[in-house]
Amino acid sequence: GMAANMRLPTIRKQVSLSSSLSALDGKDLVVPGDVITSDTGFMRGHGTYMDEEKLTASVAGEVERVNKLICVRPLKTRFNGEVGDVVVGRITEVQQKRWKVDTNSRLDSVLLLSSVNLPGGELRRRSAEDELTMRDYLQEGDLISAEVQSVFSDGALSLHTRSLKYGKLGQGVLVQLSPSLIKRQKTHFHNLPCGASIILGNNGFVWLYPTPGHQDEEAGGYYTSLEPVSLSDREVISRLRNCLLALGAHKVLLYDTSVLYCYESSLPHQIKDILKPEVMEEIVMMTRQKLVELEG
Amino acid sequence: MRDTPLSNCERDFLLKAIQEKKRLDGRQTYDYRSIKISFGTDYGCCFVDLGKTRIMAQVSCELITPKENRPNEGLIFFNIELSPMASPAFEMGRQSELLVKLNRQLERCLRNSKCIDTESLCVVSGEKVWQIRVDVHLLNHDGNLMDAASIAAIAALCHFRRPDVGIQGEEVTVYSTEERDPIPLSIYHMPICVSFSFFQQGTYLLVDPCEREERVMDGLLMIAMNKHREICSIQSSGGIMLLKDQVLRCSKIASVKVSEITELINKALENDKKARKTGGKFGFAESLPQERITALKTDVSPVEMSDVKEKANEIVQRAEVPPQTVPSPVLTAPGTGQVGEGLENSWGLKEEEEEEEEEEDETVELKMELEEGHEEKGRGDVVVISDSDSEEEDVVILNQVTTKEKASISNQQGAVASKQQQQQQKKKKKKRGQ
Repeated sequence: GMAANMRLPTIRKQVSLSSSLSALDGKDLVVPGDVITSDTGFMRGHGTYMDEEKLTASVAGEVERVNKLICVRPLKTRFNGEVGDVVVGRITEVQQKRWKVDTNSRLDSVLLLSSVNLPGGELRRRSAEDELTMRDYLQEGDLISAEVQSVFSDGALSLHTRSLKYGKLGQGVLVQLSPSLIKRQKTHFHNLPCGASIILGNNGFVWLYPTPGHQDEEAGGYYTSLEPVSLSDREVISRLRNCLLALGAHKVLLYDTSVLYCYESSLPHQIKDILKPEVMEEIVMMTRQKLVELEG
Repeated sequence: MRDTPLSNCERDFLLKAIQEKKRLDGRQTYDYRSIKISFGTDYGCCFVDLGKTRIMAQVSCELITPKENRPNEGLIFFNIELSPMASPAFEMGRQSELLVKLNRQLERCLRNSKCIDTESLCVVSGEKVWQIRVDVHLLNHDGNLMDAASIAAIAALCHFRRPDVGIQGEEVTVYSTEERDPIPLSIYHMPICVSFSFFQQGTYLLVDPCEREERVMDGLLMIAMNKHREICSIQSSGGIMLLKDQVLRCSKIASVKVSEITELINKALENDKKARKTGGKFGFAESLPQERITALKTDVSPVEMSDVKEKANEIVQRAEVPPQTVPSPVLTAPGTGQVGEGLENSWGLKEEEEEEEEEEDETVELKMELEEGHEEKGRGDVVVISDSDSEEEDVVILNQVTTKEKASISNQQGAVASKQQQQQQKKKKKKRGQ
């Protein structure tokens, strides 16, 4: 058999979160089959259907009402991208003049050859040679960070990496979470003070990597450093990864502050202990308490 | 939609782990995942859980005209369906290679092995025979579909009851279940498929691969066998070259596994029969446990406890006798007293133990009932060891931070308690190490 981990019951630290419950007052959560309203004056939006004159929810989520339009935004869903979202994706196919990227959406996203920065400067015209050497830049299995440029009519996203902060990702750790847990913010690239950097992709893919030192900016996003990462950096990243999993398991909204607070709350524990259910709960409760104090 | 391809680093990690004889879920090379078999309310409906792989099989029958060249034999028809709820890669109605392969293998395993007596399915020779139809639906794909499908199919066939038929001269009457009890099928033996996955051109082998392991495997060997050690079918896919002794070894492993699984199926059938007879609750809805925690929990795992007492005694004997503890408290400064707070250990006697404890990961606190000074062990995952060498049932494992509690205990109970502490701590350490 395998080795089992045993521990005695411990005393739980009392964490009171009564003040944060008010956050739930404004939300209207429904499950599939719940009747939202019997009033026929509303237009039905996504996530709803008409069941004998009653507007019923077809997904589990929050009810959103905009004037006369009622829709239900699901809690757990595939990533529905919008223009301007930052995503972390994996190249699945190399096609003629474009790459197909898996971004946890219903369809693979598209990264056109004309939407990437090629070495040699931005204003180069794409030649036939570029097409043939596409694989030298991005191969199947590579991770990239990109921004959504537009949405095709069928819902597929068109990405671009036309900025130096986007591009192929090098050494680091990918954490896959639900897209609904990522908070929309002004910037999704953070250099955390604990000693690592994070990219919170809107599609639920979070990338943790060691904070780059003074980097050669002209590399244009395709220079992947293969320098060995120090042990301390790796420990910070491992701890962050476990914290992200803990926050994800407890459905806490992820943004730089919540991740940082969780990291700080987890410091008394060993990194591998963070994944134990009781430790996870303790850390997340402390994080939530700190976040509530921050707001109030 | 197309399934997301496995990333390079995941593939490398899996292969490297397999080379070091490690599996993702901690199983050994020849271990199966936990198998759960439950039956529905109708006869012939069976659910099988192989780890997270979930399959449902349903058997039904109808009267049809037999084949011309075999007028005395009934027919059996198998159909496997890959439901889209099993994996995003499966699409309804799409005839994929995997589907064809599974269907063929199930037919080979159950039909060609003649495990069901088809002649007993004949009602009127040349005119009416029973056609038994086995529908297997895949509900969740986590690897090793073939094994789960074969277990579900054969269990459902064993569970199934066909309507009784009465023949009077030219007239054939099919009795409904209310009129006469339905009859079980006559099954000679139970062939079960066992899958072996090979990695690195046949160097490494794993039994019962999970979905991740299947994605990185080079080839698959499926052996269908019954408990009488008769091989019903062998199939090797993936194009790997296997040596003769590898195949023989696999067949030996398969015979062990098949007898275990056959035991399990028989037990499940027995339980279901008993429940129906005594009027107890049976069926799929009843087999789902109610009111249980589903999120943020770890699964129940069995613990090897056979020689714990000997090991514990060994440790105790090898442990040094701790120095005599001074029962009177030591004050840091005149007129002061400390309760609860304080980071520094003022009980210099305990320093050795604490250093060892600090290396351990577990932080264990204990509620102290200071009036009695006793506490019961045995909650949670910890197994109670009845201490034969101590008079009290004390559980005195202490947090390395709250040293004051240690102090207060020894204050109360002196040398006996501290010796116990050390024994218990050492026992705990050993258990963790196992």
